[in-house]
Amino acid sequence: MALQVYTASLLKEGLVAYLCLENGRPSWTFDISQATAGHDEELDALKLAAERSEQDNIVVAPYAIEVLETDSGIMATTKREQIRASGPTITLPQDKIRESRRAA
Amino acid sequence: MDNYIKDRKIEADEWMPFTGLEDGSSLPSGDIYVPLEEWMQAREMLLARNGRLGVALRNTDDPGIIKDDLERLDLIVLEFPKMADGRAFSQARILRERYGFQGEIRATGDVLHDQLFYMQRCGINGYELRADQNPANSLKAFDEMTVTYQPAADEEFPIWRREPKSI
Amino acid sequence: MYQYSEQDHQLLLERVAQFRGQVERRVKGELSEEEFKHQRLRNGLYLQLHAYMLRVAIPYGLLSSDQMRTLAHIARKYDKGYGHFSTRQNIQYNWPKLEDVPDILDDLAKVEMHAIQTSGNCIRNTTSDPLAGVARDEIEDPRPYCELIRQWSTFHPEFNFLPRKFKIAVSGATQDRAAVAVHDIGLRLVRNDTGETGFEVHVGGGLGRTPMIGKVIRPFLPKQHMLTYLEAILRVYNMLGRRDNIYKARIKILVHETGEDNFREMVEAEWEKIKKGGLHLRDEDFEWIKKFFLDPEYEELSDRDGEFENLLLTNAEFARWVDKNIELHKQPGYRIVYLSLKTAHQPPGDVTADQMDAIADLADKYSLGQIRSTHRQNLVLSDVRLKDLPALWGELKALDLATPNYNHVTDIISCPGLDYCALATARSIPISQAITQRFDDYDFVNDLGDVSINISGCINACGHHHVANIGILGVNKKGVEVYQMTLGGSAREDAAIGKIIGPAFEADEIVDAVSDVLSVYLENREDPEETFLMTYRRLGDAPFKERLYG
Repeated sequence: MALQVYTASLLKEGLVAYLCLENGRPSWTFDISQATAGHDEELDALKLAAERSEQDNIVVAPYAIEVLETDSGIMATTKREQIRASGPTITLPQDKIRESRRAA
Repeated sequence: MDNYIKDRKIEADEWMPFTGLEDGSSLPSGDIYVPLEEWMQAREMLLARNGRLGVALRNTDDPGIIKDDLERLDLIVLEFPKMADGRAFSQARILRERYGFQGEIRATGDVLHDQLFYMQRCGINGYELRADQNPANSLKAFDEMTVTYQPAADEEFPIWRREPKSI
Repeated sequence: MYQYSEQDHQLLLERVAQFRGQVERRVKGELSEEEFKHQRLRNGLYLQLHAYMLRVAIPYGLLSSDQMRTLAHIARKYDKGYGHFSTRQNIQYNWPKLEDVPDILDDLAKVEMHAIQTSGNCIRNTTSDPLAGVARDEIEDPRPYCELIRQWSTFHPEFNFLPRKFKIAVSGATQDRAAVAVHDIGLRLVRNDTGETGFEVHVGGGLGRTPMIGKVIRPFLPKQHMLTYLEAILRVYNMLGRRDNIYKARIKILVHETGEDNFREMVEAEWEKIKKGGLHLRDEDFEWIKKFFLDPEYEELSDRDGEFENLLLTNAEFARWVDKNIELHKQPGYRIVYLSLKTAHQPPGDVTADQMDAIADLADKYSLGQIRSTHRQNLVLSDVRLKDLPALWGELKALDLATPNYNHVTDIISCPGLDYCALATARSIPISQAITQRFDDYDFVNDLGDVSINISGCINACGHHHVANIGILGVNKKGVEVYQMTLGGSAREDAAIGKIIGPAFEADEIVDAVSDVLSVYLENREDPEETFLMTYRRLGDAPFKERLYG
């Protein structure tokens, strides 16, 4: 099976997070490259930890996604998950940019 | 059963659901309610009994089917198989407002805190709360909202035709 | 506009308190996500791709300047400094935190705003003509009726758990600027032979994966029956609408599967039983509600102005803006001004907090303190004096809100797409921006005339691609975003669902494909008066197909 990580939305913030499992201790990070990736039976422990976080009302709807290990770290394989990991692909509307353009 | 609310109070439930009328000899005493089909098949036999009677409707049943029987019934049981399935809200209003049913209209199934306010407005006054609900907390749901806009079983007119309430 | 009574205020405060309680119960784990979801959706709160999204209602598109300032304040304090005006007269915030939402709702309640029923399987925000009350082709102002529908539908105890979402639109003019034909219920104000006003009742329109134009189930409904008739339709739908398959649960499927005539009979039979009930509307009810929507005290003004006419002759840029973004007003000496939210720099419908504040100030200064939002994701200042147009134009230009493109090729409707949306299968905003950049030439835009491009990032069709002259639907094909094109749709009084023209295009081909389609039109139109849609209807698919795939 392909390399996978667990992702979810944080209940209180709504933001995208990825599961890290260090010495059996789970934590959630915004940075996909910090996530704990696993194959096959390694995934069972991740799944269990993710579900526990859901039961503890830390995250909502965790699921596993396929990832690749690249030189710059872990990367999601689908466009959807890439956008989830790095944010909208467009420039967000911002008043400061507008002002600088006006000044230019 | 302590997960039962009647008229905004936690009460003991005196009603027994009953099915299996084929064997006519075994009719229990006390207050029982039966599925609609059994009521249709064995109306006379059921009426001959002492004790109150109720009928349970599926949420696909047309409440008009029992409109002529309502005077003989003390309970209509409605079902909310899932929280999101709101068909029984319409059945309740039709029973109360169109047919003037005076007995208990009871909600069963996914009966949860956040629907009680709407159920009450539709004329439901008995609630078999789902097992995981906290009945004492759920009682608060009836008063979370005090302003209503539209007519329903509890109000004949929309807000613009009522005397303003003092707040 | 409608002014809240004490009870209206009370209701909002109670709802905020209730929602605060629901959030607390969720965070403590007393409410499961599945159950909380029903509650948060009924308060406009989604969990999207990156964060929660809060959808705030703008009832029938009408905003006061103070309400707009509150929207700016919320964007700044709780979000990332901007908001997104949707196609159904709502504004969406893309980054609120769950625990802030009750506070946001408190701030909204202070200015008589809310997020009630902006999502979930209930009756949604009632939408209307953004030119209500000022349009020259108006039969009657639809807003009093919209407000009655708003009150009737708010926390309706029977219709809060419908088979699926339910959208109502009301139009009061001969031109349909509210897309009534693609709503679950569309009401068009009409006059009968005796001069009485009533409603033409359309039921079962909608987009999504099975797009349908609504059927007229009653050509004339006297207005006193408006609410009893709506209640009858909703009751039939609540009891009989399909609940076994989410994709077949909208009322359009019920109307389709039951047959228009059978459906009408069921509604009329139910209506007969309730038409004399408490929802029957009396003359005094109309008098009461219409008082909130009386004409402002317009000045007696000439419909000509020297400074305006001078600038029109001497400043081509101003003349372009007037030609494209200004509409005649029913009152002489006044004009309706469209604020274009369609530039190459910002996603369609997006407005920054500073822009919102500035728009509020402009509304106070030039337009009686009110703003309207439109179905095509723009804003309107509805009551601007002709003589103020030069000054207003200068200010709008500085705010990047004066692009002269209303109802033209770069006035694109776009859903948020895969950049924001958890349901999307492809991105739509980058495509809209690429098209806008390609056609960023006034003479070309002007020559093309009236044409609509709408883009959706998935089959749910929030970008209304089915009813665009040129519709674009993004789908995911084996991991690649590709874009399917439909032609010939319309959301107006000649409503039509567009036809798929052929196989989908890759992201880097779709702008060229749009360009090709526009070229075919320009080459084949009989004269500049013949719009894209007229040419398409005259010629059919063939020449477009030939150019795209031949």
